[in-house]
Amino acid sequence: MNRALLRLSLACLVMFALLLINVNYVQAFEAGSLSGRPGNARVFNEQLQFQRGSIVAAGGGGNTTIAESLPVKGSNTYQRHYPGGATYAPITGFDSVYGATGIEAAYQKYLAGTSSSLTVHNLISLLTGKPKQGATVFLTVSAKAQQAAYQALLNDGGHDAAAVAIDPSTGAILALASYPTFDPNQLTSLDGAKVVKIDNQLLADPAQPLLNRAINATYPPGSSFKVVTGAAAFATGKVANTSTTIPGPQPLTLPNGNLLNNDGDETCGDGQPQIIQAFWLSCDTAFGELGIKLGGSTLRAYANKFGMNSSDLTIPMQVSPSVIPPIKDPSLTAMTAIGQFDDAVTPLQEAMDAAAIANHGTLMRPYLLQSVQAPDLTTIASTTPSVLSQAVSPQVASYVQQMMVQVTQNPAGTAYATAGPPAVGGLVIAGKTGTAQNGVNNSGLNDAVFTCFAPASDPKIAVGVIVKGGGFGADAAAPIAVKIIQAYLGVR
Amino acid sequence: MTTISSPSAARSSADAPVATPRGRRTTELLMLAFAVAVVLFAYASVGFGLNGKPPAGLVGYGVAFAAVVLVAHLAVRWLAPWADPLLLPLAALLNGLGIVMIYRLQQSGRSGNPGIQISTMTASTTVQQVLYSALGVAAFVLVLAFIKEVRVLQRYIYTLGALGLVLLAIPALLPSSMSVVNGAKVWIIIGGITIEPGEFAKLALAVFFAGYLVAKRDVLALAGRRFLGIDLPRARDLGPVLIAWGASLLILVFETDVGTSALFFGMFVAMLYVATQRTSWLLIGIALFVFGAYAASKLFGHVGQRFAIWLHPWTGNNPTHNAYQLVQGLEGMGFGGIFGTGLGHGQPFWTPLVQSDFIITAFGEELGLTGLMAMLLVFGLMVERGLRAALAVRDPFAKLLGGGLAFVIALQVFIIVGGVTQLIPLTGITTPFLSQGGSSLIASWALIALLMRISDAARRPAPQPIQDEGMTQVVRPG
Repeated sequence: MNRALLRLSLACLVMFALLLINVNYVQAFEAGSLSGRPGNARVFNEQLQFQRGSIVAAGGGGNTTIAESLPVKGSNTYQRHYPGGATYAPITGFDSVYGATGIEAAYQKYLAGTSSSLTVHNLISLLTGKPKQGATVFLTVSAKAQQAAYQALLNDGGHDAAAVAIDPSTGAILALASYPTFDPNQLTSLDGAKVVKIDNQLLADPAQPLLNRAINATYPPGSSFKVVTGAAAFATGKVANTSTTIPGPQPLTLPNGNLLNNDGDETCGDGQPQIIQAFWLSCDTAFGELGIKLGGSTLRAYANKFGMNSSDLTIPMQVSPSVIPPIKDPSLTAMTAIGQFDDAVTPLQEAMDAAAIANHGTLMRPYLLQSVQAPDLTTIASTTPSVLSQAVSPQVASYVQQMMVQVTQNPAGTAYATAGPPAVGGLVIAGKTGTAQNGVNNSGLNDAVFTCFAPASDPKIAVGVIVKGGGFGADAAAPIAVKIIQAYLGVR
Repeated sequence: MTTISSPSAARSSADAPVATPRGRRTTELLMLAFAVAVVLFAYASVGFGLNGKPPAGLVGYGVAFAAVVLVAHLAVRWLAPWADPLLLPLAALLNGLGIVMIYRLQQSGRSGNPGIQISTMTASTTVQQVLYSALGVAAFVLVLAFIKEVRVLQRYIYTLGALGLVLLAIPALLPSSMSVVNGAKVWIIIGGITIEPGEFAKLALAVFFAGYLVAKRDVLALAGRRFLGIDLPRARDLGPVLIAWGASLLILVFETDVGTSALFFGMFVAMLYVATQRTSWLLIGIALFVFGAYAASKLFGHVGQRFAIWLHPWTGNNPTHNAYQLVQGLEGMGFGGIFGTGLGHGQPFWTPLVQSDFIITAFGEELGLTGLMAMLLVFGLMVERGLRAALAVRDPFAKLLGGGLAFVIALQVFIIVGGVTQLIPLTGITTPFLSQGGSSLIASWALIALLMRISDAARRPAPQPIQDEGMTQVVRPG
């Protein structure tokens, strides 16, 4: 029987060899991908054992903590807390058992302390017995501007809306608010089942609270796109300066025989207005004709210079592209020139339009990260402002600025009542309203749009606001922008 | 009957030195001390890992564990002085590490460690496991004390065979309230005590198979017809194989326990092969099992589901539903990586039933690949020592029983460790010596006692001839 026993021993050897090979496969070769799988509660749970870095809104003077890890009473674990609740949700995102979004996801390596730039620091902490700690992320967000933005959206009456504010000279994002939104504190529970339940509720909610409308939803820009059309007209020399007259018939007969009417079928001045007048009156026929003169491809080229049609913009969250489609048909080009047809932009894009004009035609790359500070207070990363594109020349920018000032300062300007002297007194806001028709046969409620910057003479803040179904841009969107500007500049 | 020349040849050691047989009990004692030290270090490590301070009762538990192990050692000195010196230390090491891990798992979710309490474990779980270990060692001593020669078991093979079958059948016949724990209908629950009779049936049936096959092996080895180069047995000799196959399939069907079924059938086929040395039996056995498993996977939902989970654990909602346990075990092992998180630093509590079927993944997570390989080698060494005893022993019954018992350890480790590491479909059986539970532990200790009894017989020097004086009077030629 010994021969068979020896063979049986061989079988046992093979079984153990297979087991040993397999555990090597699982624990050595597959270890990284197994432990990094989304839903591996161990990794998230381990993060709870040390203090994740805070996120601080540090723009516009003053530091406001908007995400922090607090010790859980009666244990040595930490739980994420968002002091601002829903206000900062589109910025911070959330950090939960099942993953992270927003800044929490984008700067995970700093917040969790796994970045290679923190390795030495972690080692020193380990050797000196200090508890491991994540790095603090300072954002360009101004707490004043952000709170004003969220409150204004909240008080607007339940429309889908978003507002973005940028420092035009640097591209630093001062506010980024979206509504409806969610309270990230709901998702910080350590109870996975509870998180899944709430996450599913949020996902199923028809109001789409998880959608970051400021950067991931697009709306027709309406007349606010005349900023781009006007800039293109000056830049190409089709219009010499702001007092050059352009045809503004009522109605305009398009090449395809359709008629384009001004809002309320009103005449545009005497039918041959200066471009600046057509701008403050927001004459669709004048700018429609201008668009035909420029041509679809030229118009699109200038839209691109303002950052549109780009799918690789990150702030660091991915920004959905603002689309101005390529148009050959001159009739459709007329519609595109006034921000209709298939034009669709993000609220961030509206702020970028104003910021480019405010910064003498130079569009700065929008960003959220100001700096990252290791627990020992050394700065391990920071953002140097950079140019995204030279949209137009300083001369052209100053022409467009003059026109935008008249929108609020001329008593006939579309935003005189809501963003001009009656509303804000001596503060000069340069802006452009947009009231975009939408829905089948334009039967839906108009989207209200406002793009602006202030103070006009020395721009500190550029704002873009879109209120879906809000009605007139001057009535629904401009007041929101005004509140953000006033809060940020500290004027009343 | 001893020949006259052999003792005298052994005696004339001056001319041809022959190794004097040694019991190696001192070696065993030293190895035991080492095993106890490893276990106590592990226990202390859990305390520091969880709470940053030594665990409660380090000295007390240490002394108790050392005392229990010492009792086993003294029993071996007294009852089986020639037994293999490694089997007892290996068993003690695994048993001790199992207790340490159960203590560690019982602590999760306490003392500020985030995590979830394992609902099936209570504060007394570790104490119970220690008590079961003491009972296991008692069983070990009793087996050594009452079975002086494994041959005596041959008298009771049919009794034991019947007992084994009855033990196996009881859970199937009992109502669910008295036989189902965590979905497996393999228990007897009486007055709050749960017994897993299959663990004891394993031993009884191993003895029965050994006795039956030794008696019938000549018949079974008789060549029938040759077909494709394989000696096929006669049709009527297929009877016992078919009975064993049928019994294992019945376990599978009525007790929804694929692992135990595979274990019994594998043990039977291996012993049949050793008894007859006929490859054909092996092939027939494997073919029958593969066919049975395939048919079962088609006929019974729970068996088919096991295959689906094994092949596609990450697909669809498998990770959060059917394959949750497997996936959690694998993620835990991945989290541990090569060196592990250290005892008390991992999070094995996410894996359901980690204290029983999945305890090896907890070791993988906290001791890493390194620790897990070491533990597998300990099991491997245990099997090797068992097989070595079987090879060395002369009595065919003891040889067959030893081979079967050693193989059954290997197979059980293969089925459960392979199952939780996705090498083969997962079937729930206990990990010998490690898993929480008294039946498995006591049966494992009894199994080791049988192997030591066999190795004692194998290593025992030939008895001194009675007429010692007379042999010196042999006149040397020349």
